[in-house]
Amino acid sequence: MCMAKIWLYKINMIQNICFQLGRLRLGSCIVSSVQVREKGHLSRPRLRNPYWNLRKQRTNTEDLVTTENKQFINELACEKYGTPALSKSIQSQENKLIQTNDPEEEIRSWTEKTRRCGVIARKIGQYPLWLKNGKKVRTTLLQIADNHVIKYMPPEECGPNKNPSSEHKLNKYGCILVGAESTNPTMLTKEYCEIFRGAGVAPKKNIMRFMVSPQGAIAPGTPLNVAHFRVGEYVDVRGKTVDHGFQGVVKRHGFKGMPASHGVTKTHRRAGNIGGGGEKGRVWPGTKMPGHMGNRWRVLKGLRIWRTNAKYNVMWVQGSAVPGPTGGLVYIYDTLLPLRKLKEAPPFPTFYDEVDTTSEDCWYEQMHKFKDETIVYKSE
Amino acid sequence: MALQILRRLTSTLPVTNITVSATTNTCQQQLLHTTPACCEIRKLARLRVVDNSELGKRAMAEGRPPRCIHVYNKRGVGYIGDKVLVAIKGQKKKGILVGLKQNQKPKQPKFDSNNLVLIDDNGTPLGTRIHVPIPTVLRTILKEKTVAKGADYTKVLAIASRYV
Amino acid sequence: MNVSRAMSKRWAQQCVFNRIVAFSTKPTQHAAAVSEPAAEQETVATPAAATAQPATTTPAPTTARKPIVPSNYRFIYPEFLPDPKVEWRNPIREKLERLDMLDRRRQIDLPEFYVGSIMAVTSSDPHAAGKTSRFVGICINRDRCGLRSRFVLRNVIDHQGMEVVYELYDPTIQKVEVLRLEKRLDDNLFYLRDALPEYSTFDENMEAEHLEEGAPVPVNDIKVVLRPRPWLERWERQNLLGVANIDQYIKDKHRKSAEKVQKPWEKFDMMKQYRSTIPEEEQKEVFAEVHTELHSMELQRKRNKRKRTFVKPKQLA
Repeated sequence: MCMAKIWLYKINMIQNICFQLGRLRLGSCIVSSVQVREKGHLSRPRLRNPYWNLRKQRTNTEDLVTTENKQFINELACEKYGTPALSKSIQSQENKLIQTNDPEEEIRSWTEKTRRCGVIARKIGQYPLWLKNGKKVRTTLLQIADNHVIKYMPPEECGPNKNPSSEHKLNKYGCILVGAESTNPTMLTKEYCEIFRGAGVAPKKNIMRFMVSPQGAIAPGTPLNVAHFRVGEYVDVRGKTVDHGFQGVVKRHGFKGMPASHGVTKTHRRAGNIGGGGEKGRVWPGTKMPGHMGNRWRVLKGLRIWRTNAKYNVMWVQGSAVPGPTGGLVYIYDTLLPLRKLKEAPPFPTFYDEVDTTSEDCWYEQMHKFKDETIVYKSE
Repeated sequence: MALQILRRLTSTLPVTNITVSATTNTCQQQLLHTTPACCEIRKLARLRVVDNSELGKRAMAEGRPPRCIHVYNKRGVGYIGDKVLVAIKGQKKKGILVGLKQNQKPKQPKFDSNNLVLIDDNGTPLGTRIHVPIPTVLRTILKEKTVAKGADYTKVLAIASRYV
Repeated sequence: MNVSRAMSKRWAQQCVFNRIVAFSTKPTQHAAAVSEPAAEQETVATPAAATAQPATTTPAPTTARKPIVPSNYRFIYPEFLPDPKVEWRNPIREKLERLDMLDRRRQIDLPEFYVGSIMAVTSSDPHAAGKTSRFVGICINRDRCGLRSRFVLRNVIDHQGMEVVYELYDPTIQKVEVLRLEKRLDDNLFYLRDALPEYSTFDENMEAEHLEEGAPVPVNDIKVVLRPRPWLERWERQNLLGVANIDQYIKDKHRKSAEKVQKPWEKFDMMKQYRSTIPEEEQKEVFAEVHTELHSMELQRKRNKRKRTFVKPKQLA
């Protein structure tokens, strides 16, 4: 009895609601002048990640594979690609390549406007070197980390064509994908490994794209090493600065803080005033305030290469302020600074010959080699 | 003020009487400056005259060393070889810094005192001898600072007894 | 129960103490380190370093093939040990740095010296009249690692105290002589700045004193007399061994504040010690790499010394 009653009541209520809704719709149809306050789509360009920006790390599931089988898989990978570079302190030149395309037959000429490929390196520390006049220069050591070209995309293909109608605004530069530091492919996802299929190199831990002129295209599978740059040239180094986290104004902007005593309470490391009153009664844009410090991309431009070592693929670069921590990744380009740009033709598109790893370091001519004799000044 | 406290202490503590009175004596003898040593030569920095000019010798002997009242450069901080204006025995004199207490670059000497050689407007030193060693860098610095028809600072080098 | 627990704790501490080797040149720690049995692998050693030095990582102290590195090398050549800060370390950089240091050492004889030794450094100087300058003084500090390593010499010339910093691997340094090889009681002798000038006065024309071969480096236990206050630093807080009259000038308030800043627990802080030192296994790796070179240089130096000591008589009877 009771249940039936409730049932009836419910039906009634639903009918009621339907009726109400119908009236509403009717009303809206009659008015029909809805205000449009937004365009309905975002006005800023959508972030379109490049196709190689994929998840790298495979989720580690228990595959219930015996240790022998695991070993077998590793052996197979090593046989195919050579041993991973990480297990060797020396970066691998002898990495087994499946097929390396020969440098193209026609010699492509270098002009001052062409742009070359860059390399991926690791910052491994810094120490001083001395010039022949006795001056000390502080240098940073950058080790080129087992780089291989993975793919070249001509200007038409690379980058999303933002507006198909504007044909004349095509990209000027093509793009070269460079990978650094071979790794064990069993640790990576299938999609990520697909990227390296055409190149014939082992899957790499790090990928970076470099915009190059179409003349500067390099065949996939070509190794890039320190001979790509010559001693005495200038480079730009891009890296991510050390992450300091959320920092106050004293550390982040070098403010002085306030006195420790003399009646100062609770404002020893605070900024103090952040703006005036009256007409300008607000905080102006660009006011230095606490916030996140570091972990930002920064480019250090126009650093001279003082010395290179072919055996360990290391170059000594001017200055000790290369962004990033020791062991961090940095990207090295030919400099864009107009007065320090390349004047003579560099190895173009890259250095193809076999590198003599036993040879000695290459020094800039003003540098004092440690093997040379003590510097003596001549009296005039 | 300090002396008052000391006196009060001596009256209350007869045991420490001897030592305290000894310290007060030494304080009076040395004309102790109580401000901490500033490592930079800026205005009101006390300097030490190291040449044998009468004025400088008397000022140092009286225990009233010259004070820097102006540094002739754009930084306001005097480095080695810079010209400074000093107040010495109620007079204004110019001088050249020939040795600094602050940390120096490798291979350049750092001295235990801030040394000064008094000169006149033409760059001629007032004394005839510098009785401490001066750094060799001064030879280059003072030669660079000497311009034709201006003050000739290299005369300071001529009276130096020894280089380090 | 409690006693046994305490005992076991102390035993564990001792074990870890023995494993960690101090970077400092203190002789007490030296002694502790010598008695250390070379055993366990360190986890700090990176795989890259391991492959670079496959022979040394294998824990076989008895193998005859390996060159036997003298245990005192870390005191003679402290700059070959890298900075212990983990964030700054890199095996390849350290290796390249060591190679450069050896290259420089082949050009110039950099002898063994300690804080407290009296040295003479001849360096080429573009400002000097003869384009060289020589400075004699006592080494009051030695710091930094690798090519950056440097030392400070102090002397009083014409009643004027002065100090010069020299970089050990600076190529403008022509000659480094040790005139008197000895150690002092403290790790650095900055207190000489506040001591009476006679304690840091050394004759410029001093002759080099020869030490017998194989003899241990003597420790000069001279106690320095300080000037009255004001001082450059608060020496009473630094537990100095080589100062005689520090109590003469400090008052009760200084004593109390010095007590407050003392950190007696730091010598038991194993983590701190671990972070500020290089483990012995890695030290061995480093010195095994450079040992043969350094040893041959030492032999060369000895030969040269013998030549120097034998003076040919000018007139024959």
